[in-house]
Amino acid sequence: MLTYALRRFLISIPIIILATFLIFGAISLSGDPLQDLRQQPNITAEQIDRVRELRGLDEPFPVQYWRWIQQIPTSGFGEYLLSPRPIWPDLQRVLLNTLQLVLPAEIIAFIIAVALGVVSAKRQYSVFDYTTTTLSFFGYSMPAFWFALLLQVAVVQIFFITGVRIFPIANLSSANPGTGLAFFLDRVHHLILPIASLAIFSVASYSRYMRASMLEVIHSDYVRTARAKGVSERRITIKHSMRNALIPTITVAALSFGNVVSGAIVIETVFGLDGMGRYFIAQLGRRDPYPIMAWLFVIAVVIVVFNLLADLIYGYLDPRIRYD
Amino acid sequence: MTEPLLSIRDLVTEFATPDGVVHAVDGVSYDVYPGETLGVVGESGSGKSVTVMSILGLIPQPPGRVANGEVLLEGRDLLTLSEREMRLVRGKEIAMIFQDPMTSLNPVLTVGDQLSEAIVTHDADIGEDAARERVVGLLELVGVPNADDRFDQYPHEYSGGMRQRAMIAMAIANQPKVLIADEPTTALDVTIQAQVLEVLQKAQDETNAGTILITHDLGVIAEMADRVVVMYGGRVVESGTAEEIFHSPKHPYTLGLLSSLTRPNVDLERLEPIPGQPPSLINLPSGCSFHPRCHLGQGRAVCRSEVPPLLELGVGRRSACHFHEEMSQEVARVEQETGAHFDGEL
Repeated sequence: MLTYALRRFLISIPIIILATFLIFGAISLSGDPLQDLRQQPNITAEQIDRVRELRGLDEPFPVQYWRWIQQIPTSGFGEYLLSPRPIWPDLQRVLLNTLQLVLPAEIIAFIIAVALGVVSAKRQYSVFDYTTTTLSFFGYSMPAFWFALLLQVAVVQIFFITGVRIFPIANLSSANPGTGLAFFLDRVHHLILPIASLAIFSVASYSRYMRASMLEVIHSDYVRTARAKGVSERRITIKHSMRNALIPTITVAALSFGNVVSGAIVIETVFGLDGMGRYFIAQLGRRDPYPIMAWLFVIAVVIVVFNLLADLIYGYLDPRIRYD
Repeated sequence: MTEPLLSIRDLVTEFATPDGVVHAVDGVSYDVYPGETLGVVGESGSGKSVTVMSILGLIPQPPGRVANGEVLLEGRDLLTLSEREMRLVRGKEIAMIFQDPMTSLNPVLTVGDQLSEAIVTHDADIGEDAARERVVGLLELVGVPNADDRFDQYPHEYSGGMRQRAMIAMAIANQPKVLIADEPTTALDVTIQAQVLEVLQKAQDETNAGTILITHDLGVIAEMADRVVVMYGGRVVESGTAEEIFHSPKHPYTLGLLSSLTRPNVDLERLEPIPGQPPSLINLPSGCSFHPRCHLGQGRAVCRSEVPPLLELGVGRRSACHFHEEMSQEVARVEQETGAHFDGEL
């Protein structure tokens, strides 16, 4: 298992390096970042040239690439194009905020999805099964932002009718969030609606995978063997079926985690959250390549890390994988 | 004769399919006595496996349903037991060895874990170390080398023959009264088959269990079985001791099976295959379901119109053929045509 884990880890390093190359290459191809400045009447050509020289924008591609790569570990992605402000503190803040939204959403979604999938499969073609199937297709096909808006409208309507604010509909914290436990509870209160909007799609999709793989497993020969031994249904489900059925579902969940992080853009926008998505859109508007590259790099690392995690869980659950 | 250990009486198991209800098992009766090996022979779809799955209550419901009959284990009708009571029977009083050892063990659990489970399920107080010790002993008994190391290995680290040995060890873990082996050697290499049969024999001697050995391999039957039940189209068509079945078959289907394959002690010069296909259970032929393929019937009307009753010809000797009296001439004809002598050693 240790060899397996180490090998998986070593394989991710060249992937990250390749990702930096692709990120830098793609952004370089998208044109001169200083082009827009020329149309601004209050900026002189000398000022533009000074920035160009300062950031080495005239140097050959490999030199620029090397300069950028070096900055990642030493000064945390360097500074913004037009100001001496470092990028990493901003990026770190929005990354942590987004993870506070995405991690609980995905963990809750995964647990609910596994439960729904198992019960649906055990009671195939029951009312419960048909109900979850229908709701899953609904959750799967409904745009996340629309559901988020519905939640907001519902909360506002309840406020109009009863005068009670059940949930805040924007921001990560109140104006005066307090400290310690009070801060935490305030944050949870603010995040419940965004987490719900984000989780519903994941629940819908993962529960489908879980149901399908569970159905395959409960009709397998080894489950029949367990039954012939006199093992109880409950134990068969937990010990024999679920562990096997979780393998493909965990893979799907871990692999789609990167998508969920970058896909949180919409939810963050609807709820006005200071997260990765909003940061990315803001930097796109400023046409600053440095924070964009940093953002892409962070997303790449998140995706690679979760792929690695998927591999490790996979290896833990399935002994056949460990010894390849 | 002693009291039977397990009696199956008029068992009917049906499956609901889109094309209608299929009677996979249609009024099957047979007995298993303590310490004996009962061979159950028949082509695919003859209902041999469904019968034993019905005994253990392992028929998937729906679409399956045990519609009628009794399964008496020492006088107690298993079909009337609740699921909870049935769990105490499975693996404890009746244990089963399945056909495909490649898929019958859980790939994500160690072999030792799965064998211990068989013991712990029926003896919750045994403790982990004692269970392990017993499992290692069982693995040694069935001839798994380095049993203590093998305990912690996963099924994919076992070869097919070793897995089947582990399955046998699992089945005899609780000294069952009845051991059911459903085609235990079909999925194995020929060279391994003999070894596994030997292990099965040893396991049976060890537990003195009444064994139901399901197979379509008459060679296995000749080697292992004391008595034989021949099934066709969901019904028993003949039963008797192994010697009676091999020497003087009383049903043309049994004779067809005997003359369609070679065996070491029978000099077949020419094989005579059974013409046609096994019947579809959805659309069984009228009357005797074997009549379209039967050489003896010769298109006689009664074969097509009437289901032949399973007649008692002697103690434990039964045949479901309208013309079983003519079987000795039929055997002589086949012996002449194929050059075989069915009265040799088994």
